[in-house]
Amino acid sequence: MSDLNFEIKRGEFMCIVGPSGCGKTTLLNIMAGLDNHYYGSVLYTGERTRKVNSDRILIFQDLGLFPWLTVRQNVEFGLRVRGMSKSGRGKISRKYLEMVKLGKFSDYFIHELSGGMRQRVALARALAVESDILLMDEPFSFLDAQTRDTLYEELQRIWAITRKTIIFVSHNVREAVCLGDRVLVFSASPNSKIKAVFKIDLPRPRLIESEGLMSEVRPIMEALKPEIGRSHG
Amino acid sequence: MDNRIGHVGLIKQVIFYIALLLLWQFIVALKIWPEYLLPAPISIGKTLLCGFSDHSFTIGIFTSLKRLCLGYGVSIIFGSILGVILFRYRTINDIMGRFILSLQTMPSICWFPLALLWFGLSELSIIFVVIAGSLFSITMTVNSSLRNMSPIILNVGRNFGAKKLNMLAWVMLPSVAPSLVMGFKQGWSFAWRSLMAGELIFNSLGLGFLLNMGRELNDMSRVIAVMFIIAAISILFDKLVFGRIEKFIQFRWGGIK
Repeated sequence: MSDLNFEIKRGEFMCIVGPSGCGKTTLLNIMAGLDNHYYGSVLYTGERTRKVNSDRILIFQDLGLFPWLTVRQNVEFGLRVRGMSKSGRGKISRKYLEMVKLGKFSDYFIHELSGGMRQRVALARALAVESDILLMDEPFSFLDAQTRDTLYEELQRIWAITRKTIIFVSHNVREAVCLGDRVLVFSASPNSKIKAVFKIDLPRPRLIESEGLMSEVRPIMEALKPEIGRSHG
Repeated sequence: MDNRIGHVGLIKQVIFYIALLLLWQFIVALKIWPEYLLPAPISIGKTLLCGFSDHSFTIGIFTSLKRLCLGYGVSIIFGSILGVILFRYRTINDIMGRFILSLQTMPSICWFPLALLWFGLSELSIIFVVIAGSLFSITMTVNSSLRNMSPIILNVGRNFGAKKLNMLAWVMLPSVAPSLVMGFKQGWSFAWRSLMAGELIFNSLGLGFLLNMGRELNDMSRVIAVMFIIAAISILFDKLVFGRIEKFIQFRWGGIK
């Protein structure tokens, strides 16, 4: 990747689409401060940052939940390493488990949950540390369509309540249009860069199967198609 | 449901052992082999009773277990420390990794002559053999499980702000717990085998010594009785101690890595 220059406003929901291998995941890792092998700079509230920090939480594609902890303990993890008291942690974890509708499952272990529920745990764990930014790396790609559609609605609802800044990497244009205020299209590697930026002005909450969505999807598809062809060639 | 299957399994096992005893008794009754080569099950039972009532078996068991715990304990502590060092310092791992692997693959009883020359005919020689037999396998396990830690789990830990001690206690150790338990179990079985081999050669109480005494006295029922005790202890640790830990791990970790 080179010549990359973009800004994200506080509270914005931005989606990034691009052919596989174009460096979307690397970009998220860089923004999270987990990857330091790059030239350039990441500015956060006007200041240059290179270090990992819990004000930017990355939700990995395979989530990285802790199987040895219960749902509640997973959600409280970030608070525990900060040394928060048990009662303080309990209050916050309860709040966010209610928000993602897992209140009844707080004492379950991860392997007892369905894929969709695991997504919710990862989301609640990220929300619990009250970070400013959520970085999401194709988090719904392993789910069945029905679960995914519910989670699109849930994520929009939670975003509306919490007013987080969300950067969401996707390989699915419809998903990106359904969720994002803006959609960034990356070109294929090598030298992948931002090919186009689309502003999505549809009213919320948006449904993935709605008619209005399709008209926004088409031009983005047009922009993306040659890139996918290039990345396979 | 599971419980019932468990009971059926238990009944089948009991039937199997009874059948085995009956077959054994039957073969003895045929008198193909003399009694001093193949004693009747009853005479083994008598030897067991006798050995426990004059405390010679009890003392043997405790002597062996004491050596085992000492040697295995040292192996776990120092083997783990060495494993962490190999994981932490790449250069040391590159230089010493193969050396330690070769020490681990060496049959532990080969340490015995060296131990005898170093420590003489003492308790220390046997414990040394137990340590030499199990320490390096624990080192290898600790090193390789730390190396195979999921990078995503580590990154999640970093992202949420876990550092040093928090990282070790809340992320690294639990994430390697399943493979550590497997390695410690393997270390235990190495320690146990080394101990028996050592005790057979070096006559000083202990179960291996009782076994050897049976041979010297030409007392087959004693030999078999002690073998029973050794097998019982093996199963006790394998199933009860490590089996329980493994079940707990299975329940908690759910087979997810």
